Amino acid sequence: MSSISSDIIRGYNDTMILYLLWDEPSYGYEISKRIRNLSEEKYAIKETTLYSAFTRLEKNGFVESFADSDMVNGKRRTYYRITEQGRQYYREKCAEWTLTKEVVEKFIRQDGGM
Amino acid sequence: METIRNYLETMFASLPNTFEMQKAKNELLQMMEDKYTELITDGKTENEAVGIVISEFGNLDELAEELGISSFVIQENQKTAGGFRSVTLAEVKDYLHDRTRSAYAVALGVFLCIISVCGYLVHFGGGWHVRIVLATSFMFIAIAAAVGLFMFSNFVMGKWKFFRERACSVDFATAEYVHNRRESFRVTRSMMNTIGVILCILSVLPVIVVDSLFGWSSGFGVVLMFVFVGIGVFLLVVSGNVNAGFTVILSLNKRDTMGGSFVPSQKQVTYKNETISQIMSVYWPTVTCIYLCWSFLSFDWHITWIVWVIAALVQQMLKAL
Repeated sequence: MSSISSDIIRGYNDTMILYLLWDEPSYGYEISKRIRNLSEEKYAIKETTLYSAFTRLEKNGFVESFADSDMVNGKRRTYYRITEQGRQYYREKCAEWTLTKEVVEKFIRQDGGM
Repeated sequence: METIRNYLETMFASLPNTFEMQKAKNELLQMMEDKYTELITDGKTENEAVGIVISEFGNLDELAEELGISSFVIQENQKTAGGFRSVTLAEVKDYLHDRTRSAYAVALGVFLCIISVCGYLVHFGGGWHVRIVLATSFMFIAIAAAVGLFMFSNFVMGKWKFFRERACSVDFATAEYVHNRRESFRVTRSMMNTIGVILCILSVLPVIVVDSLFGWSSGFGVVLMFVFVGIGVFLLVVSGNVNAGFTVILSLNKRDTMGGSFVPSQKQVTYKNETISQIMSVYWPTVTCIYLCWSFLSFDWHITWIVWVIAALVQQMLKAL
């Protein structure tokens, strides 16, 4: 089985995070866990990658951070919430991905080169 | 969990100590902690959990780019390659051991210097000539022994000169170790300082007591005074030197990097003015010198102690400048 090239996926870390924040705010570890689960263990985001993505998203105004206590054990954490700009950016990224996929797909042989 | 914390602190050690860096470190620690807790809950052993968390941590270069400090990280890496000396825990333990030995040697040397004049003060029997010869011999032997001790201390500390000559750094675990040792030395240190100062102050007592009992002529009171002062100064020198050892290690990391904040509140007298801080490095030895010179030349021991009071006041004023 091949592994994911981090160069390719890097451009879509932001998209994944925004997707996971779409319905409700979340925090670092939960997001990384959900990425791993949703990708069926095929992609595990590194802590540093995740934190850089948060900083970048926040700087661009796509997410907002706030401190809150955990529902389960009352631990103080930094939560992230998607903004309206973030949703707009997410839509753009989705469109971009559809296009990218369409284009690249044209160059992938149906038999996978076998 | 301690291993993870050490790992993270060490990774951040050479980065600038800024608000963003503190925030990044705390966030990363939180994520690692969450992951660790969950792995343990899932039945992983502690070692496995630590291994997984650290292997999936990633690379700080990525973070550096995002936080706009990539140039700093690269510079820092080059510096590390070009002679940044990282000091290990074993070396630090060695250093503290040597420092303690040298502290006792120096203190004993100072003690000998202080009591070296005692021979002249005792009025035992025998002719004037014999007394001078004996007293002078005693003085020279005491001073020679003291010089020997000073040389020994220099020799022992010689191999640690590089702390001052090169840029060195210690990792988080080492800094914490030294910090704990300094904390546990705190009680001993204040005891030594208190007893030292009390002995110096009480040193006039023997003069009064002994001389009122046996008469001024015996000179034993004055001798005892020197012994009191000698022991007092001995204690002060030991406690000061041992403590300075801890401070040297804890100030190896540059103050403006994350490494500089490993240990909370490194209390150190800082002088705002560069010139004053240079003056202060020779301040107390000079005061001691003035005190001894004045006392010996005038023999006004009942009043010369005022030098210390004035010196302490002047130091407070210089600090404020």
